[in-house]
Amino acid sequence: MTKRRRHPGPVRQLRHAAALAWRDMLHEWKVSLCLVLALAAVLAPLLVLFGLKSGIVSTMTERLKSDPRNLEIVVKGNNKLQADWINALRARQDVGFVVARTRSLAATTGLRGPDGQSAPNTDMMPTAAGDPILPATMPVPASLREVVLSHTVALKLEASTGDRVDAIVSRRYQQRSEAVTIPLTVIGVLPEAAFVRDAVFLSLPLLIATENYRDGFRVPELDVVNGDPPRADARTFAGVRLYARTLDDVATLAQFVRDHGYDVRTRAKEIETVKAIDRVLSFIFFVIAGVGITGFLLSLAASLWANVDRKRRDLAMLRLMGLGTGPLVAFPAAQALLVAIGGIVLSLALYAGVSAVFNTVLAANLNRDEFVCRLYAGDGAIAALLTIVFALGASMVGGYRVAKIDPAESLREL
Amino acid sequence: MSGDAVVTLRDVARTRGTEPDSFTLEVPSLTVYQGECVALTGPSGCGKSTMLDLLGLVLEPDRAKVFSLRGHGDDAIDVAELWQDNRVDALAAVRAVGIGYVLQTGGLLPFLPTRDNILLSPTLLDMQENDLVDHLIDRLRIGHLLRKKPRALSIGERQRVAIARALAHQPALLLADEPTAALDPVHAIEVTELLLELVSDLDATAIIVSHDWDMIRSLGFREIRAVPMKRGAGSATRFEG
Ligand SMILES: Nc1ncnc2c1ncn2[C@@H]1O[C@H](COP(=O)(O)OP(=O)(O)OP(=O)(O)O)[C@@H](O)[C@H]1O
Ligand SMILES: [Mg+2]
Repeated sequence: MTKRRRHPGPVRQLRHAAALAWRDMLHEWKVSLCLVLALAAVLAPLLVLFGLKSGIVSTMTERLKSDPRNLEIVVKGNNKLQADWINALRARQDVGFVVARTRSLAATTGLRGPDGQSAPNTDMMPTAAGDPILPATMPVPASLREVVLSHTVALKLEASTGDRVDAIVSRRYQQRSEAVTIPLTVIGVLPEAAFVRDAVFLSLPLLIATENYRDGFRVPELDVVNGDPPRADARTFAGVRLYARTLDDVATLAQFVRDHGYDVRTRAKEIETVKAIDRVLSFIFFVIAGVGITGFLLSLAASLWANVDRKRRDLAMLRLMGLGTGPLVAFPAAQALLVAIGGIVLSLALYAGVSAVFNTVLAANLNRDEFVCRLYAGDGAIAALLTIVFALGASMVGGYRVAKIDPAESLREL
Repeated sequence: MSGDAVVTLRDVARTRGTEPDSFTLEVPSLTVYQGECVALTGPSGCGKSTMLDLLGLVLEPDRAKVFSLRGHGDDAIDVAELWQDNRVDALAAVRAVGIGYVLQTGGLLPFLPTRDNILLSPTLLDMQENDLVDHLIDRLRIGHLLRKKPRALSIGERQRVAIARALAHQPALLLADEPTAALDPVHAIEVTELLLELVSDLDATAIIVSHDWDMIRSLGFREIRAVPMKRGAGSATRFEG
């Protein structure tokens, strides 16, 4: 009798090994479940930690860091700033927003609401695209007829977006009091938190026109024909509304303006506090995350390594029956992969539950596009990848170690 | 027929452990011919299982001048060279195709039911379904155990299943380490007789370990007895035949 049998290739053997690994897991389903639970028990809190970091912690520190009040550099007094100088300022990397303003005394107006309510002596603030005081979604006054009202002014005038309001600017010209009424459309009302004082935000040309009017010039833009002919020399500005790009830019930018001989004021102390909060929170996060990740990967590797060790005898049996090194290593690796996937899925489910609780319970403190707890897909993918790589690594190293010793030694184990 | 050597060993040795607790096994010369039934005998701890492990290619010899195996109609395989070159996967392939091993400690996979344990070798070899497995199950009277997992079997039942498992892929060489140790004398003879019958049906060669001299003689085994030796501080044994 002559029978020649071929040993099947490694790919078929791998499939057999994977199938056996699966059946072993089913047989030991309690142990398998424990491994999955143990993994999820450490991974889920880590995911929540990352979720809170990219959620509430980032939101809060971002809010503090981008608070316009902290970014503002107030140029004190009435100066004589050239338009060129302001444009040069605008081109600087550390400038977030800059717009020229007129003399502060001239920059007030009386306002009359749609039903005759009035708000005397309201500050006129120049604005333009990119103004950090205006919410990103709000339209920016561009023409001579558009304004944005601060919350308090809107209350006084009982005006809301779309309403007509009148600005009444008065002057003394040739010993006579006169006034001009400028009809305006409200294109937006600031939220209360954005600006607390009475103010009306308008385009720089409108502000300049009112200053020109007050200075006794004739202002055709405002239909004022009475007055001196417009001046020919290049005009200067009394000041600027100036905001640094980031908190770190405030000091250098303030110094730059100071170096040009202007007196400035910043909220240096608040900025220090904000930076300290940011530093401390980041440090705490990195320590907790570092310890958590290290512990997680160690426990994952240890438990899967121990799992391979526990199966030494069965693995030796499979080697005795002719399983090659690759398929042998695939046996614990397949189990580790399943444990890792199970653990990841379970921890994502746990994370989803916990973050939903966070997001609903603490929703009141947030804007519509903000989250208490949110996990970026990239962070989740990195966590999953790390888990799988470590699970496979630990089990494969364990498997290779088993493959290294003679099967006879493992077979004798009690 | 009996002119073909299935197993040829010359000057093979293996030491386990370190002195003074070491144990050395020496095989100056051993030849087993096609169709033979050989019994390794000797007192407990003399190295019978170690000898089978060497023959089963699961224990690496420290030295081997000649170590060759010949399967069914194949060319002789130079095992000594495979070990020397550390070609563990080639050795695994030889084990998978040519050798059936009944371990002294049973050796069934706990996570597979009896039937799948028996079918393990044929499955790993992608063999076609054939009558042999049913025949083995029938003759060893384990048909009622097929769905049970090994832990639900008695020790004697496990040994019978292990015999079926070792023969299911029609190996050229059957190694059995006290396959009937857990059985009563009457059944032990019966099962050993059956094992010999199956081996001869399959045109295989058997090397078994047994303590039962009477049985070995009555069943016509060629006996190879362990010879104790003095070798330094540890113990040593020689097998020759
Ligand atoms: N890893 C080891 N280190 C040291 N000595 C070992 C080791 N493994 C086995 N031995 C020794 O090798 C000798 C032979 O062991 P073996 O299992 O081959 O004996 P045996 O003849 O099969 O015994 P039994 O009949 O009881 O099964 C024993 O004395 C044992 O103590
Ligand atoms: Mg033994």
